[in-house]
Amino acid sequence: MTEVIRMSAIEKHFPGVHALRNAQFDLKAGEVHALMGENGAGKSTLMKILAGIYSADSGSVQVNGSEVRINGPRAAQDLGIGIIHQELALMPDLTVAQNIFIGREPRNRWGVLDEAQLNRDAEAIFAAMKVPLDPTAEVRRLTIAKQQMVEIAKALSFRSRILIMDEPTAALNETETEELFAIIRRLKSEGVAIVYISHKMNEIRRISDRVTIMRDGAYVGTVTAEDTPIETIISMMVGRELEQTSIAIPDLGDAPVALEVRGLSAGRMVRDVSFTLRRGEILGFAGLMGAGRTEVARVIFGADPREGGEILVHGSARTIRNPRDAVGAGIGYLSEDRKQFGLALGIDVRGNIALTSLDRFSDRFLRVNEAGLAKVATSYIASLAIRTPSDQQEVRLLSGGNQQKVVIAKWLLRDCDILIFDEPTRGIDVGAKAEIYRLLQSLAEAGKAIIVISSELPEVLRLSHRIAVMCEGRLTGILPGGPATSQHEIMRLATRRDHAAEGASA
Amino acid sequence: MTATPVAAKPRAIASGAQQKLLAFASLIALLVFFSLASPNFLQTANILAILQATSVNGVLAIAATLVIITGGIDLSVGTLMTFTAVIAGVVLTFWGLPMPLGVIAAIAAGTACGFISGSLVARMKIPPFIATLGMMLILKGLSLVISGTKPIYFNDTPSFPLISTGSLIGSIFPAVPVPNGVLILFLLALAISWMLNRTTLGRYCFALGSNEEAVRLSGVNADGWKVAIYALAGGICGIAGLLIASRLNSAQPALGQGYELDAIAAVVIGGTSLAGGRGSILGTIIGALIMGVLLNGLRIMSVAQEWQTVVTGAIIIFAVYADMLRRRRAG
Amino acid sequence: MLNRRSLMAALAAGTLLATSSLAMAQDKMYIPLVSKGFQHQFWQAVKAGADKAAAEFGVDVTFEGPDTEAQVDKQMDMLAAALAKKPAAIGFAALDSQAATPLLKQAQDAGIPVIAFDSGVDSDIPATTVTTDNLAAAGMAADKMAELIGGAGKVALVVHDQTSRTGIDRRDGFVNRMKEGHPDIEIVDIQYGAGDQLQSTEITKAILTANPDLKGIFGANEGSAIGVLNAIKETGTTGVVVIGYDSGAAQKEAIRSGAMAGAITQNPVGIGYETVKAAIAATKGETLPKTIDSGFKWYDKTNIDDPEVAAVLYD
Repeated sequence: MTEVIRMSAIEKHFPGVHALRNAQFDLKAGEVHALMGENGAGKSTLMKILAGIYSADSGSVQVNGSEVRINGPRAAQDLGIGIIHQELALMPDLTVAQNIFIGREPRNRWGVLDEAQLNRDAEAIFAAMKVPLDPTAEVRRLTIAKQQMVEIAKALSFRSRILIMDEPTAALNETETEELFAIIRRLKSEGVAIVYISHKMNEIRRISDRVTIMRDGAYVGTVTAEDTPIETIISMMVGRELEQTSIAIPDLGDAPVALEVRGLSAGRMVRDVSFTLRRGEILGFAGLMGAGRTEVARVIFGADPREGGEILVHGSARTIRNPRDAVGAGIGYLSEDRKQFGLALGIDVRGNIALTSLDRFSDRFLRVNEAGLAKVATSYIASLAIRTPSDQQEVRLLSGGNQQKVVIAKWLLRDCDILIFDEPTRGIDVGAKAEIYRLLQSLAEAGKAIIVISSELPEVLRLSHRIAVMCEGRLTGILPGGPATSQHEIMRLATRRDHAAEGASA
Repeated sequence: MTATPVAAKPRAIASGAQQKLLAFASLIALLVFFSLASPNFLQTANILAILQATSVNGVLAIAATLVIITGGIDLSVGTLMTFTAVIAGVVLTFWGLPMPLGVIAAIAAGTACGFISGSLVARMKIPPFIATLGMMLILKGLSLVISGTKPIYFNDTPSFPLISTGSLIGSIFPAVPVPNGVLILFLLALAISWMLNRTTLGRYCFALGSNEEAVRLSGVNADGWKVAIYALAGGICGIAGLLIASRLNSAQPALGQGYELDAIAAVVIGGTSLAGGRGSILGTIIGALIMGVLLNGLRIMSVAQEWQTVVTGAIIIFAVYADMLRRRRAG
Repeated sequence: MLNRRSLMAALAAGTLLATSSLAMAQDKMYIPLVSKGFQHQFWQAVKAGADKAAAEFGVDVTFEGPDTEAQVDKQMDMLAAALAKKPAAIGFAALDSQAATPLLKQAQDAGIPVIAFDSGVDSDIPATTVTTDNLAAAGMAADKMAELIGGAGKVALVVHDQTSRTGIDRRDGFVNRMKEGHPDIEIVDIQYGAGDQLQSTEITKAILTANPDLKGIFGANEGSAIGVLNAIKETGTTGVVVIGYDSGAAQKEAIRSGAMAGAITQNPVGIGYETVKAAIAATKGETLPKTIDSGFKWYDKTNIDDPEVAAVLYD
């Protein structure tokens, strides 16, 4: 296989951060090369240099054997390098075809946009990808998975021979991931070289040929995917061995019920959902994307209107009309999208922890007791092991795992004893994941009642004392946690369509 | 009314047309209401007066629409209009040059000022609100300085008032003497609507408002296009300046501040999102007409001036709220 | 979905019904006044006078004016809407006579009499102009000045400009009256300060320096008069009689404190009242004089709080 990319001795500084130190990477035509490392290891930075978004302080980049300078996205495109960004870089108000050809719109001989040609060109790309997508659809109406396809089509429209995918499956369900892999395999067979950045070990094993591991901005090593054990890769990433624990399920028969939901309904996504949650219990919610798990959480939390059913907290019925009511009842919700809903990124750690409890730290003239806040914040930073230089560090500068811990601290401070975690480890690297798992377990041991919504079955299996499975807005069954339950059983319930539902939903 | 701009996406036409139909329906509802309320409302002369009153605000609102679609805001449209009128006065009255030069000078001055605003926003990264607020005050002051704080009359250019008050249509169909100012408004609306839907400039206008970073990452000269859009908006303000100067047969240097808010109100009533990325010229024109009809109708009904202001404010809030509800239901 | 929009119309309707004068009976004569302003105290006083006449003569009157005196186009829109209502007559105070000419012609063609008020309309279309007789008013200022300085000595004038009708009339009214009635009084200087307080202050200082034996100064409008007061205060001059014009908080305060001997006030209430009265007369085909004097008053410390004086003063 011919080598298409060789990056060597790459150095990059950001203000206060040495992002890349003597980093290196190479890529061959027709291979899928996984790039792995914990968050902040420098994977995305390295690839952004390749895509012309950042420029390196020093080092060499060779494309097809010749030294190049890539000084902008245009230059990268001209070299046949396309990137699919982790946070999708699409224009939601434009159509699919308009997005793909932004900046290169076909025009007729009077210089007027040729929309028909534009749509034909897009159609041709989708035909080649064997993906049925309507070029005239507005991007904002597409699922994340479809938007991903648009990004890939856009990259391919540059006749890219090198495709960088930054966590492409982060928001995809299993079926969608399969579709993406099919496309990747097809591209590979056509000789396209693919850089694949991901945290998901099982994916890496399935799709990639070689794996390069980075840590702290530096190159650690490159191994073949097929015959390297996952544990080896993980230890290369974190620089230490990780213990593989499976959950010990406590006997909660006598534990009081913290939360009971009866016949909860709201729109198409929440239909007659009933379950109980005991103190000290971790209840996992599994299901495919769009099964209604997040919607259930939002209705319980009062973020969406409830159309039917009852919510009992510690045995008494509570009227929850808005999140303030929910917080008053001791329910905390840690949303899927931390950046959008859970955190004020520009504010420091202390301020975020105090966000929902400020009234307790201010006097009647609304003056904030900063000293008291600092004490509380520092104690949470210690007890949750939040890695931050101080409680006055802006939250946006923390890694994903530490941001998640800040959110947890916020709700703990608010005295919430029922905590709903929606995708708690999304975008968090392997080492931090294990830490979050341990944290959830210790919270449960301390008597908190916990719901974990997760799209990753291994995560659900590893964490949950019981597993609730949803499909199309209905609860299709509750399974015991631990080794007794297989992924296969969960998938069976997760795909159980309406006609079979009656018996299981109660 | 204007024709629906030709868009190549059938589904978007369906939903877009529906939205415009609703705005249009509310305009019709107002017309019917006022017609029933006063026999003097639905008279040719009064309808022409409404159109005449709408023409300047309509043109300014078109300029504001462009900038708002990019996700920005332009507070300088009102005083820029005045500034271009003063420039026309300098060229035609102070220097005594022929009329076409005055027209060109006004539009060129507008374009140049728009270019400056655009450069402040796109290249120097000054927030649009601040950049155009500054321009608003600078232009207001310059208009007073250049004119010597007195109106400049166009008595040496007898054909100048015809730009706005003459009637090309009336010379062909004497029964409907639609003033040229109104004709210019609708022709401009058609042209800009076409530009938004069929040219790269229009495409980048929506793209910038939708996700500026994505445009930049696509290798497009995002800043350059943004400057171009502000400059175009400035040129349109130059047309508004000509219309108002022609209608008053004078450049009134102290006028203009406050007109930007009327223009923005028309844009918003017309369903263009202040967040950027979506909007239409047809909606803006309907929005401007709703404002014009409302004000005229309230006057015809002899509603006290204080209450006219209250009702207008309430209608703006209500129109936008109704539009949001409809959007939310449409998903 | 249309319901929501028709709700909007309903809202408009509700507000209208609540606020519009329901008593717009068809048999009542309707006279709209389109003024140069609306929010300013002076214009509110004009409106009060118009409303008073409306009640007295049983006609319907509306009063409108743009937010600022720069908004010539908004005034045109108001005039157009007023004409569309087919009124019996129209009262109009032009911000810019030229711009209004086409609409005034339209009124003339429709046989709607136009009554100009305040500074009037520079055109022969109006049936009459209701305004202050500035010549007579300034004459009264001259008489008061003569009385206060004992019939002899030097006086000076600070006028806003030498081009506007009011500037010319107030200057000439004062000067002529002095020549005719008070031959022992010498007018040593007439200066123009554009009605600008600061400019008028500098002018007055120069006059005071040049004429140390000056007995009195007449400031011909609000800005000029305040400028004169400023200069007297800044130079510490005493013994100079100051007479002003119009009112405003600063002049009223100066009169109460004695810094200003007194001032001429126009009668905005009278302007409104006489405009409506003249409009009714015009609809009946009565011949009207070219101008109608709406009256003016002398006010000083002794009568500033009298009800009929206080009514025409503004802050």
